[in-house]
Amino acid sequence: MSGATTALGVGRPPIARDEAKGLLGEALAMSAADATLAVLESRDESLTRFANNEIHQNVTGLRHTLTVQAIVGRRSGIASTSRLDSSALRQVADRALALARLSPEDDALPEPAPPAETPEIAGFVPATAACTPEERADAVGPVLDQAAAHGMNAAGALSTSAATLAVASTGGVFAWHADTYARFTCTVRGADSSGWCDRHRRDWRALDVAALGATALEKAERSRAPAEVPPGRYTVVLEAAAAAELVAFLALLGLGAQSEQEGRSFLSGKIGERITGESVDLVDDAFDPRGFGRPFDYEGTPRRRVALIERGIARGVVHDRRTARKAGVASTGHATPPPAVEGPLPFDLVLATGDQGLDQIIAGVERGILVTRFWYNRVVDARRTIVTGMTRDGTFLIEGGRLAGGVRNLRFNESVLDVLARAEAIGRDAEPTYFDYLGNTVVVPALRVRDFHFTGVTRF
Amino acid sequence: MRELAERALNVAQLAGAAYADARVIESREQFVEVKNQRPTALKESSGLGLGVRVLVDGAWGFAASAAADPAEAERCARLACRIAAASARFRRVPITLSALAPATGRYETPAARDPFTVPLADKIDLLIRTSAACRVDPAIAVAQAQVHCWEERKHFASTEGARIEQRIVHTGGGLCAYARDANDLQWRSYPNSFGGHFEAGGWELVERLDLPGHAAEAAHTAVALLSAPQCPAGEFDVILDGSQVSLQIHESCGHPAELDRVLGHEANFAGTSFLTPEHLGTLRYGSEAVNLVADATAPRGLGTFGFDDEGVPAQKVDLVRAGRFVGYLTSRETAPLIGLASNGTMRAESFGHIPLIRMTNINLEPGVWTLNDLIADTGEGILMATNRSWSIDDRRYNFQFGTEAGWEIKGGKRGRLLKNCTYTGITPEFWNRCDAVADDWEIWGTPNCGKGQPSQSMRTAQGAASARFRGITVGVGYGA
Repeated sequence: MSGATTALGVGRPPIARDEAKGLLGEALAMSAADATLAVLESRDESLTRFANNEIHQNVTGLRHTLTVQAIVGRRSGIASTSRLDSSALRQVADRALALARLSPEDDALPEPAPPAETPEIAGFVPATAACTPEERADAVGPVLDQAAAHGMNAAGALSTSAATLAVASTGGVFAWHADTYARFTCTVRGADSSGWCDRHRRDWRALDVAALGATALEKAERSRAPAEVPPGRYTVVLEAAAAAELVAFLALLGLGAQSEQEGRSFLSGKIGERITGESVDLVDDAFDPRGFGRPFDYEGTPRRRVALIERGIARGVVHDRRTARKAGVASTGHATPPPAVEGPLPFDLVLATGDQGLDQIIAGVERGILVTRFWYNRVVDARRTIVTGMTRDGTFLIEGGRLAGGVRNLRFNESVLDVLARAEAIGRDAEPTYFDYLGNTVVVPALRVRDFHFTGVTRF
Repeated sequence: MRELAERALNVAQLAGAAYADARVIESREQFVEVKNQRPTALKESSGLGLGVRVLVDGAWGFAASAAADPAEAERCARLACRIAAASARFRRVPITLSALAPATGRYETPAARDPFTVPLADKIDLLIRTSAACRVDPAIAVAQAQVHCWEERKHFASTEGARIEQRIVHTGGGLCAYARDANDLQWRSYPNSFGGHFEAGGWELVERLDLPGHAAEAAHTAVALLSAPQCPAGEFDVILDGSQVSLQIHESCGHPAELDRVLGHEANFAGTSFLTPEHLGTLRYGSEAVNLVADATAPRGLGTFGFDDEGVPAQKVDLVRAGRFVGYLTSRETAPLIGLASNGTMRAESFGHIPLIRMTNINLEPGVWTLNDLIADTGEGILMATNRSWSIDDRRYNFQFGTEAGWEIKGGKRGRLLKNCTYTGITPEFWNRCDAVADDWEIWGTPNCGKGQPSQSMRTAQGAASARFRGITVGVGYGA
């Protein structure tokens, strides 16, 4: 049995490089397929969760997913397991092969990735991997006390994790990467108001939990007794977290080559055309130091920086080996975990920053609304990039360039590309947001957008 | 499995746990997808692991491991206790659990045909035939079909003496045809969107669905949607088909009735609820036509089991009776806080997650109308079918849904096809506008309900039938 006894507080990756090489080599050696790809993803994650000013849930877990793709001629089968003992490796190798033999031929099946030099990304912070439950409790404790002292109610989570991704193939590929991730998120609620903070870093010590908690508390204080403003078009200031929620949808709606090739993407047939405002530059860049990029994908292909939108013009999409083969180009290193049913996706979106601080952006609004975060955003119209969602936890009226008080939360319906086209000001400071349900990171600044369309209001 | 759990419980007690439970879970999953007659996913997954939950000094700790061996069971138990002790330093009110007679029992999902015994070649053939049957028009860009099945073997043990074995099997599948032209993209699913329909049970569901037999109609509708008129904006009487009512129940009744949300446990992520305790027994949630139960004993539901993940036996409880809000989904920790005992709704995504209050089967009791009679009685309005988008605020008041297809109701008959249908409202106002529920009841599966930090995905169900809602705001999201 390997890799299962990561000691809490030691600060090591869940699976060491040599250990991963040994495990994947063992799995590959057990496969009788023509070609075999093996992927091992491991995560040692701890999360201290609080609500009502006390810690109410507190968890840790070490999980592995070993996936084997067996290729026989033009047939492919995939099997995965959470176990890493030899009998599990044997079972998963045999099962992948059996599935491959049962599969019909797939003419579009790409050749496995060739071995390649993988760039390094320094993503592992031992202090994050070593963070203890006592340290997490000590960090959040003052936030809870502070909220209680103000008659408010704090809820949120401080999480720390260490992860590894390793990819190997019978074609000679071996790549391994270790990284860490930490997040503090907190909602402070009053009788009729709430405020929120959220920060994502590789080093948990850089989260500045106390200051973030104070920000959430201040927002809750300042948004007391919210007024109701009618639905309509408003100039909005979207804080970075709110802007990230919208930009993240572009990844799902068509920045991957599969949806573009299938004609389902908002980019289908529009590469080279203007699709949004001239100030919009969007890239996928795993090497941006603000993000959480990994240097290779789930096929073992080194990741490339890809320009997606340049000065508002659609420039490209990200590829894996299947879509690259179809397009007659090289993979950009954006394969998702097998069987990659959604095709390649951008993992590390970065929107170019502007030159204004948040205070300047707000100061430029005569009458408008500041949005701390959006919530429950869903696609209304994929081709037109129309998304609906709600504001939440800190929605303010801006009057004369200043926050004039809280307002009841509003529902919006907006095209993401149109929102970017109507951006009048772009912040100079970008924040990373990691979306765990998408597995991708968006690094964006705050935006000021004119004529943002709110279509409804709720009761709080 | 049993020995691992016992080892964990012993060590937890020695380490100071006043209460501990251990779940050892062995799981497997099979997913097959075909797109444009080509297999795009042929994947099997398996898992085995242990999760240990403990109460120390009135606070929770939890540790899990994918290595199901005695040493890991001991490590998890000790670690969970250490974590609980850290939690206890910032605990204002010690956690107490509602009383529970420790259960010893077994449960197994009834399945006429175990989905894992169906030859893979048969599944692939079914999906290829389904995909091929969608190719009715050059405008069909993507024709995809899938089947998905899960099995969980769960062993639960607690320091109170509970010892429970369960085998849960879920099966389902569906198809979706995407049509495109130069300006638009439309799609139509069968029998439901986002992967199809899922039930607790075996392959008999997939056989009953007859995917190939419904492919052409779905594809023709997708193509017709490209040139269909836009759903009008304004106030209309609306009939929602059963699958859309199912999601409406899920979002606007199921979630707000979760007592952990009500008590603020999910305030930072999933949100809270407008169904606060002072409303229990008094709030007019809906019209007299609205009766909702949480029924973990209902046949075929994804929320059907023998015992929840705290060892509480499956139950059927009223949530809304004749329109009045009368009940919550509860757990052993939350129920005592409002003077109740758990009604057995705690489930965890895997061995690596703690159990949370999750919807079981949230069922709208059927009415007596046939859908055709309901359309005839409505006269003028819009019929909407099959969810395409869904969004609701964090207290579950303001929602907006979109559907794949809609039809004008004119002169009491189903008329022209409409595209891009959306509707919006405020939950209690909306359900108070429900004046008729049809008899076309089905227990619809939702395989992807998200909640918790770390986020957990759960399979839940909602029994629903077509229903009519008067004077609903329609057509939001498009235009001015």
